Amino acid sequence: MGPKFNKHHGGWIILGTLVLAALFTVLPLPDWLEAYRPEWVALVVIYWVVALPDRIGLFSAWITGFFMDVLEGSLLGLNALALALVAYLALSLYQRMRMFTAIQQSSTILILVGIHQLLSFWVLTANSQNTAPNLIFMISALSSAIIWPFVFLALRYIRRTFNVA
Amino acid sequence: MLGLALLSMIMMLADSRFSYLSQVRFYASYLVTPLHWLADSPRSISDSVNSNLQSRSYLIGENQRLKQQLLQQQFELQKLEHLNAENIRLNELLNASSIVDERVVQAQLTGESPDPFTKRVLINKGSVHDVYIGQPVIDAFGLMGQIVDVEPYASWVLLITDPQHSTPIQINRNGNRAIASGTQDSLQRLVLNNISDTFDVVVGDVLVTSGFGGRFPAGYPVGVVSNVLHDPGEPFATVTVEPTAQLERSRNVLLLFK
Repeated sequence: MGPKFNKHHGGWIILGTLVLAALFTVLPLPDWLEAYRPEWVALVVIYWVVALPDRIGLFSAWITGFFMDVLEGSLLGLNALALALVAYLALSLYQRMRMFTAIQQSSTILILVGIHQLLSFWVLTANSQNTAPNLIFMISALSSAIIWPFVFLALRYIRRTFNVA
Repeated sequence: MLGLALLSMIMMLADSRFSYLSQVRFYASYLVTPLHWLADSPRSISDSVNSNLQSRSYLIGENQRLKQQLLQQQFELQKLEHLNAENIRLNELLNASSIVDERVVQAQLTGESPDPFTKRVLINKGSVHDVYIGQPVIDAFGLMGQIVDVEPYASWVLLITDPQHSTPIQINRNGNRAIASGTQDSLQRLVLNNISDTFDVVVGDVLVTSGFGGRFPAGYPVGVVSNVLHDPGEPFATVTVEPTAQLERSRNVLLLFK
């Protein structure tokens, strides 16, 4: 806790929010609701990238994605790649994101999570795990965009309360 | 970004085509399995609260019902034992190898794959309980699927309705063999592959595992034929099968050990 090392703090809070998002991702839902589940982890990663771009970036996103792959039992590297791409895009957008209104932010989230979903879908199709010719996988981009303002407010409250920097 | 993308792609290739990364996944899962337990805890807590807070009269009623069921099934078992002995004798007459009895271990569902395009579930038994890849999983009503991924304290089950899964089956009525696969569009039903129009199958036929391929032991119920469509424009008939196992509802499953 010396003043010298005080530049970064609250790492446990960031980890905690990511774990909570991962928990929400695997929480059992009825089948018909499954497709509407927002991409919680992608939302939390985007928030931290926009809030602390010097701290949370590609590598943290990639590691998070790696553990998500193990958690979901999906192809190892699938979520890692998708989340790293989302973090990369968010890193290039963070200055604009901070100025955006809620609606503009939500539209950006729609596109970012949409890219996340599209990439996962492409990889799964290339790996022939599915070829379902429909756009169900895009619904979660929409639900993520709708839920974003609440996620944003909650995470900002957490960041300010615990002084994460 | 490019480096990470390349790394992910190499990992995905290695994971899907080879098995170099199964150890990585195995050890990383020590860290994430507690999350699955946590995610399942509301259900398991409500289960235990439910079983602790039953009224006395309900329990007495349930006890009575279960006793009756036990009596009925013991009666049926008597006949079965006789039939089994007779079957073994007949098989010996035919010089066929006798049927091996399987051992079962009970497991509980603790999670489901969040991917809406696959049918994978997580159970609470893993490599410390000697679960192995390819192990058949059944419930009280029929075949559910097989183990595709083993972690220390959990394993993933690929259900028979997954589009990537195919089950070698046999029609119980006449012994005709076929292969039942999951479909992309429903994830609830199975279809029989390459069934010619002259193949003897009718609605209501019970399908059991044929034991071909050596993965599933023979004779476990897989499904009931729910629809047979002969389209003159198609080379093959479309046969739809409803699985007998309660894939969406069963919480208690059984692992078959040879």
